[in-house]
Amino acid sequence: MTDAPRPSASPSFMYAASRVFELSIGEMLWSRRTVFMGLVVGFPVLAAIVLRLLSSLGVAPITVNNHGVDGPVIFGLMIWIFFVRISVPVLGVFYGTSLIADEVEDKTITYLFSRPIPRGAVLVGKYLAYLACTTFVILPAVVIVWLLMIPMGGSLGASFIDLTKDLVLLAIGLAVYGALFALAGAALKRPLLSGLVFVLGWEQIAMILPGYLRQLTVAHYLQGMVPHAMPSNTPLSLIQGMFREVPSLSESLISLGLIMVVSLWLAARTVTRKEYVLEQ
Amino acid sequence: MTRGIRYFLTGSALVVFLGLGTGLIAYYNGGLPIGPRAANGDLTFVPADASAVAFADVRAIMASDFRQKLRQVLPTGEELAKFRDELGVDIERDIDTVTAAYLGGQSAPEGGVVIVRGRFNTAQIETLATQHGAVAEDYKGMRLLSMATGDTTATHHAVATVAFLNAGSLALGEASAVKKAIDANASGDDVRKNAEMMNLINDVTSTGNAWVVGRFDAMTNQAGVPAEIMNHLPPVNLFAASVHVNGGLNGMVRAEARDDKAAEQLRDVVRGALAAGKLMTGQNPKMDAMLNSLQITGSGKTVGLTFALPSELLELLNGVAAAHQLGNGTGGVIHK
Repeated sequence: MTDAPRPSASPSFMYAASRVFELSIGEMLWSRRTVFMGLVVGFPVLAAIVLRLLSSLGVAPITVNNHGVDGPVIFGLMIWIFFVRISVPVLGVFYGTSLIADEVEDKTITYLFSRPIPRGAVLVGKYLAYLACTTFVILPAVVIVWLLMIPMGGSLGASFIDLTKDLVLLAIGLAVYGALFALAGAALKRPLLSGLVFVLGWEQIAMILPGYLRQLTVAHYLQGMVPHAMPSNTPLSLIQGMFREVPSLSESLISLGLIMVVSLWLAARTVTRKEYVLEQ
Repeated sequence: MTRGIRYFLTGSALVVFLGLGTGLIAYYNGGLPIGPRAANGDLTFVPADASAVAFADVRAIMASDFRQKLRQVLPTGEELAKFRDELGVDIERDIDTVTAAYLGGQSAPEGGVVIVRGRFNTAQIETLATQHGAVAEDYKGMRLLSMATGDTTATHHAVATVAFLNAGSLALGEASAVKKAIDANASGDDVRKNAEMMNLINDVTSTGNAWVVGRFDAMTNQAGVPAEIMNHLPPVNLFAASVHVNGGLNGMVRAEARDDKAAEQLRDVVRGALAAGKLMTGQNPKMDAMLNSLQITGSGKTVGLTFALPSELLELLNGVAAAHQLGNGTGGVIHK
């Protein structure tokens, strides 16, 4: 005879979050957003395959004044341009802001909140589902790009440590951006617009301004940990490089950790306290 | 969690673990000094504690289009003809490779040894050297020709030495440096035992037909770089540079900084210098092309800079040289 849980006992926060996680990850993976994520992450993989094919045919895929650029350099540029600057913040915005906003928009939040579970656990469970969904797509893509690009004039062994750094910092970036935009999704009426303005507007401007404003961005701490040389291919990148101040590793990790924990706590608190009015 | 989600998560994790596993195996295998690409026999004459090692594939460089264009810019020089007539050595044809090592401590000429590989008339060299006062001796089975240079009355005056190492190979340098090179070869305590230096050498040998690697502090001390400049440079442990000479000149300079932060500072310094250079070149398309070819590379503690000197720039230099000769009225032949 087994002990069935008493119907009156409300589950713990973590148990509730894990149940929401299981429910949400399926919804997230098999949704229209996954197609978008596939495009964002699939493009660098496709680019890497094309470059590798060109290289195997004896054609230097990228040349600068007839001088072929090596695979490790191209991989570093791809990490910067495709992943650190585009994929991570954009996926953070699209997924993070939708964690609660989608439920409000679909008018299904009432069903979640009517369950005998803490409201904060709903957000945390959905956040964990977002994190699993995005990291399990981004990280394999980075590994595939690495395996394709590095052998073009480089050594897998020599760049292995940098790969592990890349994987860790991308996972951290997804966690931090996701938490920040989960807060935006819980607190703001038009979170997607605000998120895009933050990522594509504020962070870009603050990063090229000399002074302390950049410390109010996630990119400042995240980009400080990238082990590859920052590209200087555009005037914006050149200016950014000239005024760049790299925070120490501990400063970056502490700042990103603080942003993530505080954002997630505030988001859970907002969800617990806020009365969501469903438009009819 | 449905079966599809489990398959997806397992598949993704598998890709990451396979990649990391491959990298880990490559990392440990790559760290071992096995199968060095720089299987250069002359490295056996470079002592293990050498501060810097340089190599040039003279034959490839002399045969390159770049060299042909450079000949149009630079005068041929009577010294080269004199060298050929007296020693029987035509630098352009008889020398294959040059390997040089700076052993540290003393000034560069005295603390350096140069190993030249090629085709030499040893009898002619020895005869000429002894006619000029050189003393012949044998040292560990190798023939040495030594001649005091500079102030011979001083207590520690320099002794220039030529050693015939083996068939087609000779060493040049100060007597103590040449003997140290022979000792390294005899004892096997050569630079191939220096894993740090060999890692650098293995990295650069495939990137160009001339290269240099070494400890940054030893080289800057020797070069007499002012302390004011050194104080403003981020700490750098090792450096490497290589060029591939062909139609043009492609190359790279690499520095191993003390840590990631120092590397990032160094990248910022280089980036700033490039930006300043681009501002100063203005609308000069040739210089602009050269500056655009400069690319900052590297990751972690490594800072790299690749560059390309296009053949068009050499033609531009040739034109400038020709115009200069006309202006001076030297009547030199303009090669074109």
